[in-house]
Amino acid sequence: MKKTILFISLTLGIGFSACDDRLNLNPQQSIDAATALSSAQDIQSALIGAYGVNAGLLGGGLADAELYGTNLNLLPELLASENYVAWRGTFQGYREITTKQMLATNSESQRTWITAYQVINIANSVLESLDKVQNADQKKAFEGEARFLRGIMYFELVRLFALPYGATAANNQLGVPIVLRATQTQAQAAETQARNTVAEVYNQVLDDLQKASTMLPEDNGLRADKYSALGFLARVYLQQADYAKALAAANQVIESGKFRLNENVTNSFRSKNTAESIFEIQQNTQNNPGTSNDGLTTFYASIPANGSAVGRGDVQVLNSFVEQYAPNDARRTELFYIGVKGNGTRYYTGKWSDFGTNIPVIRLAEMLLIRAEANLRLGSAVGATPAADLNAVRLRAGVAPISSPTVEDVLRERVLELAFEGLRIHDIKRTRQSVGTLAWNDPKLVMPIPKREIDANNLLVQNPGY
Amino acid sequence: MRKTLLLLVGILAVLVQAAMAQDRRVTGKVTNAEDGTAVPGVNIQLKGTNRGTQSDASGNYTINVPSAGGTLIFSFIGAVTQEVSIGNRTTVDVKLANDTRSLNEVVVVGYGTQQRRDLTGSQVTIKGDEIARLPVTTFETALQGRTPGVQITQGSGKLGAALQIRVRGAASISASNEPLYVLDGIPITSQDLNTTDNEKISPLSDIDPNDIESIEILKDASAAAIYGSRASNGVVLITTKRGKAGRTNVQVGYYTGFSKPTRLRQFLNGPEYVELFSEAITNAGIELDDPGDGFPGYGLDPNSGVNSNWADAAFQQGSVNQANFNINGGNEKTRFNLAGSTNQQVGIIINNKFNRNNIRLNLDHNITNKFSIGTSLAFARTNNRKVPGDNAFSNPVQLNALPPIQPIFDANDPTGYNRQTLYYNNLVESNNANNYARTYRTFGSLFGSYQLLPGLTFRSEYGFDILNLQEETYQGRLTEDGAPNGEGYQAQTRSNNWTTNNTLSYSKNFGAEHSLDALAGLTYQEQTVSAVSATARNFPTDQFQKLASASQKTDANSTETGYSIVSYLARVNYKFRDRYLFGLTGRIDGSSRFGVDNRYGIFPSVSVGWILSDEDFIKNAVPAVSLLKLRASYGVTGNSEIDNFASRGLYSAIPYAEQVGIRPTQVANTELRWERSKQLDLGLEFGVLNNRINGQIDVYDKTTEDLLLNVPQPATNGFTSIAKNIGSLRNRGLEFSITTQNFVNAFRWSTNFNIAFNRNRITKLNVAPIRASSRFLSYVTEGQPLAIFYGKKYLGVDPQNGNALYEGVNGEPTADYASAPELFVGNPNPDFTGGLSNNFSYKGFDLSFLFQFVYGNDIYNTAGVFQSVNGDYYDNQTRDQLRRWQKPGDITDVPKAILYGGNGTGVSSRWVQDGSFLRLKTASLGYNIPSQLLRKVFVQSARVYVTGLNLLTFTKYDGYDPEVNTGYLGATNQLTNIALGHDFYTPPQARTITVGVNLGF
Repeated sequence: MKKTILFISLTLGIGFSACDDRLNLNPQQSIDAATALSSAQDIQSALIGAYGVNAGLLGGGLADAELYGTNLNLLPELLASENYVAWRGTFQGYREITTKQMLATNSESQRTWITAYQVINIANSVLESLDKVQNADQKKAFEGEARFLRGIMYFELVRLFALPYGATAANNQLGVPIVLRATQTQAQAAETQARNTVAEVYNQVLDDLQKASTMLPEDNGLRADKYSALGFLARVYLQQADYAKALAAANQVIESGKFRLNENVTNSFRSKNTAESIFEIQQNTQNNPGTSNDGLTTFYASIPANGSAVGRGDVQVLNSFVEQYAPNDARRTELFYIGVKGNGTRYYTGKWSDFGTNIPVIRLAEMLLIRAEANLRLGSAVGATPAADLNAVRLRAGVAPISSPTVEDVLRERVLELAFEGLRIHDIKRTRQSVGTLAWNDPKLVMPIPKREIDANNLLVQNPGY
Repeated sequence: MRKTLLLLVGILAVLVQAAMAQDRRVTGKVTNAEDGTAVPGVNIQLKGTNRGTQSDASGNYTINVPSAGGTLIFSFIGAVTQEVSIGNRTTVDVKLANDTRSLNEVVVVGYGTQQRRDLTGSQVTIKGDEIARLPVTTFETALQGRTPGVQITQGSGKLGAALQIRVRGAASISASNEPLYVLDGIPITSQDLNTTDNEKISPLSDIDPNDIESIEILKDASAAAIYGSRASNGVVLITTKRGKAGRTNVQVGYYTGFSKPTRLRQFLNGPEYVELFSEAITNAGIELDDPGDGFPGYGLDPNSGVNSNWADAAFQQGSVNQANFNINGGNEKTRFNLAGSTNQQVGIIINNKFNRNNIRLNLDHNITNKFSIGTSLAFARTNNRKVPGDNAFSNPVQLNALPPIQPIFDANDPTGYNRQTLYYNNLVESNNANNYARTYRTFGSLFGSYQLLPGLTFRSEYGFDILNLQEETYQGRLTEDGAPNGEGYQAQTRSNNWTTNNTLSYSKNFGAEHSLDALAGLTYQEQTVSAVSATARNFPTDQFQKLASASQKTDANSTETGYSIVSYLARVNYKFRDRYLFGLTGRIDGSSRFGVDNRYGIFPSVSVGWILSDEDFIKNAVPAVSLLKLRASYGVTGNSEIDNFASRGLYSAIPYAEQVGIRPTQVANTELRWERSKQLDLGLEFGVLNNRINGQIDVYDKTTEDLLLNVPQPATNGFTSIAKNIGSLRNRGLEFSITTQNFVNAFRWSTNFNIAFNRNRITKLNVAPIRASSRFLSYVTEGQPLAIFYGKKYLGVDPQNGNALYEGVNGEPTADYASAPELFVGNPNPDFTGGLSNNFSYKGFDLSFLFQFVYGNDIYNTAGVFQSVNGDYYDNQTRDQLRRWQKPGDITDVPKAILYGGNGTGVSSRWVQDGSFLRLKTASLGYNIPSQLLRKVFVQSARVYVTGLNLLTFTKYDGYDPEVNTGYLGATNQLTNIALGHDFYTPPQARTITVGVNLGF
């Protein structure tokens, strides 16, 4: 009996000590958040991660479909679809946006909001971990890059989810919540916060982008550099109708001499990181949202391929828009085609035709047009005459120059040159035009605050009409 | 662990084989007490030993017994077990009395066995012979309608698809709601590991139903708490057939049959399509021949005269074939059961095939009369040619969206099919695409059992379950996804799941009135799942399908994950005067999944039972009562089926073109722990007239607290959800079953009826209501059952203008969809479920049928927004859309047809329907050929039979099949739990008819 008891105790004892240790398993595809950002290399990884693509899954970085990979381009286009494009797809979220009948549960609104704030959290995490970086230059560059990421995300959010800048005199209409600290604990993840005003958000955007433009290096490989920040600054000022500062920023980019217009209108969309490109989303055949039934090519393209088609052909370009181009305009002849979908009756844009090619976000042509517009509005000729800047773009497209252009001429050129590049609704709002019967400041042109956010954060106030 | 094993082996080595006493021979004959016929196959065992034999076809047996004699135990399914003292007789003849519900029957419980009479917990038993003959791919299907309190739902007719099993309701929102499966004492891998889509395939389909001796489903806390943190969803104990001493029995079986869909949804034919859409286009103010929006814009020709039946093209006549053998025998020292089978099925959905080959050897050996060892080894190979997910354009059922005026075939196309269709003509994939999931599975276990002292036995067990899943898909160059030069994918997933159990059991009677059974144990389990996969494009021709031949390797992947769980368990059963029963169980579980601050959980239960029928006051007052037993139990069980690393704060990798970075994916919750279910069960078991009528009633109240919930967070902080223990829900219910032996003589007729009611309610959520998807109505909110349907309420059509109407803010009808509030518009949880079976036998004939019913649940046809929307888009419409509104005054529920009109197209209760059904689940007619005829051909027994599965279905549901649950939202446990009762181009079940023969030699 005694031996038996001894045996049992021994067995259980050995078992206990041996097994308890075995409960400490570690994940193989992830690392512990507490120590994830503990070196300069880690922080660099986190910055790269902010650009990344998490194809087919919710959440990711700039290259993802929720952000520049699709929605930050497509939503501003579909919101201004009148006389422009028709939505031919089955995706309900985009259909609602095109018809301006969005529900608070709109899937595109939700995923774009979530992912934009994820990038903001990465930026905040990097900013809070900068003490781990020893090299002063590197530290400065990292801070600049994090501020760039945060700045452009707030800029995109406030333009999509709030009444436009200028809708009230003081811009005290509701913007989006500003979060400037990293989330490391459960308590922080659960914090609720009310929406800041549009003015406050723009101030934050400017603060971040101004600092980014001084801290980022002139060359930062394939990620954002000083000129990416300046390019966005020019956009922000333009949106605020602050033409002098928009002019200065655009001029600084152009005068850097680092960029020149591509020979051909198609180069920017067929080749990667061309001379014209100021900020560009990197993609390749493996890492792009297109492989997950998402992405610009999936929605915009309908290219014959061996009896089938590349792309879903969901965004049909209306004939009336194609006809706004002169017949010999290279942007008409080379950047439109008749798609497979619609049985040979529909035009599609040729800008987005390959899943794996890059997505230019800011190109020199836009900077030239900003400088031209600002110079015209200010009656100045900083850097070059408005005609010179405008005609540089026109000549490349093979259309006749305009010797003494007006603001209208430049705005029309923006429509033609920058079509399907995610600028349309923003331009309409800043120039106070209308979309069909909806005025520039109509609440129907503002995305709903996602229902899930309202549910999870009782301090959020929904946009009017939702 | 290793040291423990070593120690055990050491002890084995010093054991001395006990000397055998001198033996003598006893023979006899077993007959039926009622009709005097011989009873073959009766187990005859010498009490207190492993010596045993079986009666032969004439009921005769021979057994060696010690010269001192002893006691023989005669047991047979459906008969009262008898113990007969041998004395100094050499012939012992026995008459067995019929008893379908033998109280002395030994049933399997967690880590042991118990007499049914002494059970204080609630568990349901299914015998292997009830399921072995049904033509199903996975054994759970065969349990439908037989298990009160266990709802078993087959979501679709796809071969090898996983079923949904809910023991006493869904006890969780975010963690798995599937029970724990234990095969011969070893917990096995039951979660799907496939990497190609969200729809789950069942790892349980690797088990050969022929191998199963019995299945026990542990329902209440008293029965299940011994499985601790994994017992909240119930536990399914599968016991395989083991060898029996006696003559070697050889069984051979074969069946073959065919299958068809149970039901099909009805769609418009060509002329009807043209009629409806001409009207819709015209109503939209568009010319019929408008090149953009009219028929030509979509490649449609209303005058083509084509009338294709696309919906039917998705289906074919399926077939089933199975052959199996089983050899069983041995002597008192060594016993074996060797079985093998091959099963081949062709699905009712095109391109769907399944085949499985199994081998199993179960071996037991007594080294001495104190020391026995045994092993179970089983190998399975399953090859499943899968159907694409419901949400894929390549899903054949989605063909029903194609306009009937487009031809199916095109002789000029290289595929032979018309590829100029509105949506992808996925028939192309029949010859140009493959999607295989091949499983290679090994179940193995080894045990040793040693009697340390009289009544005290140590048992050590080691078992593993290795699952190798090889997936291979190829999309040819002519398919949508494979264009232009083919795409191939290969994945290898290996799950290595191993367990050791070490238990000490003690059994002793103290005096005449006290009896004690105790068990203590230590177990450890670990699972590692590793996967490797690769994708490539650009193959020289479609004849090359291995990735080596492709020029572009587009993706490669390898992952590994796992968990471990260490447990201490104990059980004490005490019986006083053979009629007052007490039980206590407890388990401590430590799991790697839980937060470091909450690693170990304790799961106790207590139960009592009282066999009133053994009290004199009952015996005397109502002698007809043969059994009256009351039981009560209360206990705590857990659920730990969450992501392996849900408690950790994590950063994961994310690619950016050629670069790669990291991003935060999860915030830590160091307090994360198991969910806790507290369950009270009250049961009454009864039998009258020598148990000719018997049954049981159970009521239960199961409250689950500390729900593991992915709590939605404001995304503004960078995270959308955190796994927390928050919220609670409750399942209450009643289960009733009754079995009657209506006739017991030459003509035998027995009936079983069972019914179960479960009410599920979320009692506390603490978080914002949860939705499954914007396309689904599924909703989780406080005060309502899990997965209630929540959405806008469709009221019908305005007779004046044909506009769709919804219930508005004040209950007034409104045509403004946006302003209509969301309301509770249905419930996918049934009011009750159950079954009714009847078994008849006369002379050699037997007939049985089983009806299954599910009542009071709703179904939402998620595809309604495409297929039943009065011609809003060019998708072919269901035939009911013909009754659309056409002119003022029309009273109908289908709005005016307007192309792109958005008239009644939003998600709403418009596509909610009653999903109740009554189904003739199985019917079987068999004939046992008389043994006199067989002897000449050296056959002992032969049965020929014809069996039907899903023969008749009665329902009001308009869709394919009312037993439906689309799997396309199955990416997470939470989505699987919530997205109930939705139909989305989901294939129906198969109606299968087979004929078969079983021979015994």
